[in-house]
Amino acid sequence: MPYDVPHAVSPGLWTLAWKRLRADRVAMVSLAIVVAFLVMVVLSATGVIAKDWAKEVGVNYAPPSFLGPAEPAAGAAIAPAPATVSDEPTELPIEDPLAGALAAIKNEGAAAPKAAEGGNATEGQSVDPLADVMAEIKSKGVTNATAEVRAPTLPLGGDKWGRDVLKKVIKGSQTSIIVGLASACVATLLGTVFGALAGYYGKWIDDFFNWFYSVFTSIPYLLLILAVAAVLQQKGVLTIVLILGLTGWTGTFRLIRGEYLKHKGREYVQAADAIGASNSRRMFVHIFPNVSHVVLVQLSIFTVAFIKSEVILSFLGFGVPVDVVSWGSMLNEAQNELILGKWWQLAAAGTAMAVLVTAFSLFTDALRDALDPKLK
Amino acid sequence: MGQGADASKVIRHVFPASETGFDPAGSQDYYSGTIEQVIFETLLTYDYLARPAKLVPLVAETMPEVSDNGQTYTVRIKKGIYFTPDPAFKGAKRELVAADFIYSLKRLIDPKLRSPWAWLVEGKILGLDELAEAAKESGKFNYDAKIPGLEAPDRYTLRIRLKQTDYNLAYVLAHEPTSAVAREVIERYADEGGRAMSNPVGTGPYLLKEWVRASKIVLEANPGFRGFVWDFQPGSDVEDRRIVAAMKGKKMPQVGRIEISIIEEDQARLLAFEQGELDIMNMEAPLAPMVLDGDKLKPAFVRRGVKLSRFIDPEITYTYWNMQDPVVGGMAKEKIALRRAMAMAFSVEEDIRIVRSGQAIEAQYPIPAGVVGYDPNYRTRVKFDPAAANALLDRFGYKTGADGFRTLPDGKPLVIKYTSRPDTLGRQQDELWAKAFALIGIRMEVQKLRFPDQIKAEKECKIMMRTASWIADYPDADNFMQLLYSKNIHQNNSACATIPEYDRLYEQSVRMPSSAERDRLYHEMARIIEAYAPWRLDISRYRNMLTQPWVLGYKKHPILQSEWQYIDVEPAPKGG
Amino acid sequence: MYGYIIRRLWQMIPTLLGVILLVFILFNWVGGDPAYVLAGKISSAEQIANIRKQLGVDQPYYVQLGIFIRQVVTADFGASWSTNEPVSHILVTRLGPSMTLLVPWLILSTLISIGLALAVAYVRGSLTDRAVMISCTVGLSISILVYIIVFQYVFAYKLGWFPVQGWGDSFWENLVVYSSLPILILLVVSIAPDLRLFRTFMLDEINQDYVRTARAKGLSENRIMWVHVLRNASIPIITQVMATLPGLLIGAFLVERFFSIPGIGREVILAVERSDFPVIKAITVYVAVATMIFNLLADLMYKAVDPRVQLK
Repeated sequence: MPYDVPHAVSPGLWTLAWKRLRADRVAMVSLAIVVAFLVMVVLSATGVIAKDWAKEVGVNYAPPSFLGPAEPAAGAAIAPAPATVSDEPTELPIEDPLAGALAAIKNEGAAAPKAAEGGNATEGQSVDPLADVMAEIKSKGVTNATAEVRAPTLPLGGDKWGRDVLKKVIKGSQTSIIVGLASACVATLLGTVFGALAGYYGKWIDDFFNWFYSVFTSIPYLLLILAVAAVLQQKGVLTIVLILGLTGWTGTFRLIRGEYLKHKGREYVQAADAIGASNSRRMFVHIFPNVSHVVLVQLSIFTVAFIKSEVILSFLGFGVPVDVVSWGSMLNEAQNELILGKWWQLAAAGTAMAVLVTAFSLFTDALRDALDPKLK
Repeated sequence: MGQGADASKVIRHVFPASETGFDPAGSQDYYSGTIEQVIFETLLTYDYLARPAKLVPLVAETMPEVSDNGQTYTVRIKKGIYFTPDPAFKGAKRELVAADFIYSLKRLIDPKLRSPWAWLVEGKILGLDELAEAAKESGKFNYDAKIPGLEAPDRYTLRIRLKQTDYNLAYVLAHEPTSAVAREVIERYADEGGRAMSNPVGTGPYLLKEWVRASKIVLEANPGFRGFVWDFQPGSDVEDRRIVAAMKGKKMPQVGRIEISIIEEDQARLLAFEQGELDIMNMEAPLAPMVLDGDKLKPAFVRRGVKLSRFIDPEITYTYWNMQDPVVGGMAKEKIALRRAMAMAFSVEEDIRIVRSGQAIEAQYPIPAGVVGYDPNYRTRVKFDPAAANALLDRFGYKTGADGFRTLPDGKPLVIKYTSRPDTLGRQQDELWAKAFALIGIRMEVQKLRFPDQIKAEKECKIMMRTASWIADYPDADNFMQLLYSKNIHQNNSACATIPEYDRLYEQSVRMPSSAERDRLYHEMARIIEAYAPWRLDISRYRNMLTQPWVLGYKKHPILQSEWQYIDVEPAPKGG
Repeated sequence: MYGYIIRRLWQMIPTLLGVILLVFILFNWVGGDPAYVLAGKISSAEQIANIRKQLGVDQPYYVQLGIFIRQVVTADFGASWSTNEPVSHILVTRLGPSMTLLVPWLILSTLISIGLALAVAYVRGSLTDRAVMISCTVGLSISILVYIIVFQYVFAYKLGWFPVQGWGDSFWENLVVYSSLPILILLVVSIAPDLRLFRTFMLDEINQDYVRTARAKGLSENRIMWVHVLRNASIPIITQVMATLPGLLIGAFLVERFFSIPGIGREVILAVERSDFPVIKAITVYVAVATMIFNLLADLMYKAVDPRVQLK
């Protein structure tokens, strides 16, 4: 009678890792924090929260609510008085004395120079090509919207323009985390592919990549960044992701190349060769899962590193564009604010970044330990 | 030490950016120029206290004689002025002579030097441009050639003959690129480009003692300087009398040593001043609220005795649109409407209040305060009026498209590209204009370019829109009104504007001395700028100079870059 | 051994060529045109063409490339385009301040990190271990920009313990007075990651079989740590230290900038802002050569520390 011999199923690497992680309390707390941030990122990206972060709702440099409103200083933030179209500068007559003559000229479309007409020594000898149009608009009496009332304090304070720091931090987290993750993916991808090719194929391919690697790492980071920034000429977050990704692959390359060199000669690869697997299949279907834990750890390390690099990029002037906020842009703005006594933007962005980066790093450490088959 | 200069009296000054070198014809940045002003001397200078700025003789005996309808200038140089000793003089005492000024002026146009100041003399002096042309052919400038435009009838007399009337030459003769240099020194120390950037040998009150590039510059009083007695007349300012009382009759220079640090970061500079590590500092706008309440010093600083010297810098900051650009440029009515709408959407008040911390005023007129030709009564017609801006755009067919942004009248998408620097100020300017564009529903893109790249693109008329500044080289309106003259395109006509009516008026104004008639022309030209909107005038900034209580007799001059030879220091121990 | 060294030196040439080519392409393509900076406020197209001719940038590319290669070989990069200071003079004078800052930092950082890592590895798994590691991680997560801003404000300004910025004339003054706060900031930023890394290296060693054997033989924990573990962990530690050395040439540019220290890092930023090609060329080439040499030195030190290592 056929029957199945009972045998113990030995758990795979990932299951083991997960078990170890679960037992580590610090790791779990860190994971929870990271997940919380990611949830915030999703909410922010979909516009559920912090969508109107750019609106100026507070007075300039509104203090955090728990501090109470600031005393009015010189140049205190009062929204500009609405100007109606009928406002005229008081001193000089603004009506073009030649307006009548202009009406006749206006059909020609071009502004004709007028020599000094006799008598009138004041302004407006020359022609205002839009005099008639402006007169028409004035006569319609179009008015500007009255300014809204600005809050004297905000939960985490306001920035120079009166924008809510709390909303900026949330939106900034979204930008910074996405930049960190995306550039980490690019750098890891490049490093892995290059490393795999170099380590697996060896010989002249390896020589080429090694040469490329040493050339690349010899150039000062600053110069490299400026070069990529100028070449890309794109706007926005994509540029930063590419800058960081295209300059950061070197560490992963070395590591993955080493791994592939190690695995290349192993039995299971020879076995794959025996069953006729192609090179690329062997590289990515057989060997890769065995190095994937290294890749994963690299990914998390890079995420942290690039989030921090984005801050430096902002300082150098290659940060996010004007309609985007990130931790880097907030810290950059906050440079001069501390000495003015406005510490809240620095504190908010710095704290948010510290919390996320710490949690992420601790989790990465735990992940690395959990994935290491040597540790008991 | 020269005449009364006391080696124990030290002034510690600061530059926010580094210098390049000390050759009057060779360096172009403000800070190098500041050092050159006290090492070298020009024919004329400005009276220390007189406001508005008034030209007075420096090495000249008297003001130049102007004849031939403003085409000939004759100047006599004081006798007995000597250059500081240098091996190039082979042990002899070297006196300053008229030929030294001829040499300096020739250097400005020498093609080998590629001097950034060539425009001061280009096209003006008889025979000089031809000499430059000859130099381009032969590869070597003939400094010995005699030309009708620069003559020294005797050892101490200089005669300059111009191609046409120029009322502003006197200002040029007060500008430090025209300082006298000794030919022997230049020839001995010149590099491949003909510049002697590291061995300044002049006739001025100070000489270069120590130099750690981009970090520290130390000047010491020139022992051979002829000195002068402090004797300026007070103006209408109340502070002037105090200065006169403190300084009158003293033998100058009093300060024996000047130590200049280069500190790039705002915070570091301010903290250094507060610690007493600096004696004079330019308080820039971002941190001004630390020190100023509006236009006055905070009480804590007043109690410490810190003094403030504050006035509006003779400069304008303005935003320009490229008149040659297909999207925003040209004289077609709908383009004029587009520019004027953008101008009306911009809030100068917010710029001043938020970005400049209140340390600026609105520029109503293209000629700023402190410049001859300034009109304090002129009011611009350009106002912050987003409603009118929107109405104007609607009227000319800039319809709102499906994406919520306006399109061109023919339906094509409309994107305005604003160029700015990748620094804090650039970012704030981006934010200001982003708000303006949001008010009128136009899509804006920001192009970040470093300053050298900006200049390059601007001179090729490739920048669509940018906010630029211009500070007076000399205090005459012409220096500002020339910025829109069509012949200056590819040079300093940043808007690449050709407005025939403006050109016509400008050419008339150049032939006039400062007068009510010239002012009338300028008023019309200002109205043209408002009507055609190649520019939107923005602000003129305040200059706030802080000095420690032990610095005596200080009053910041609007044109002179430093006042070290006119001030004194209390010998008492300093704080910090 | 000598054959190995010669071979390695020989191998540097293609890398150097690659660096030259890459820098040349990058800079000519994207580095900005210095002619406009040098031309001044008002200048005509003719003057600009004149300047370009003087700087040599109007020559065909292969001629410029040839000039660059010759400059590398003769180690003479001419003079700065903006200040006319000879490039070699620039490097020599800026090297001093950078080194005054960075060498003490490197020594202190390495020693402190190794010491702390040993201590923490000693008490591995304990609460102290955990606490120290977590505080390291927290310290790591704060940007250096924040440290500089806050430290300069608190320690130099509010408390007055250090000067706010500056640089003096004498070596000792620079070392003790002006470098203290910058070095302190650099230490705070560098010890945390180094500590984590070195701890990992040491733990790797501690878990090796030979340590178990040593304990079984009855050696004291102290001896194990100091003599055995440290010795073996020193290989990756040396790699790490060597890897950071070439970076010293560029210097901690942020610190130099905020504290106005006339070092190489600050010079690099200035040169890039001014499109000052000769300075950037020189610095890049020197960093490339330094990197290669330090890698060689690291490999040689491996052999000295661990005779099992085979140099290929």
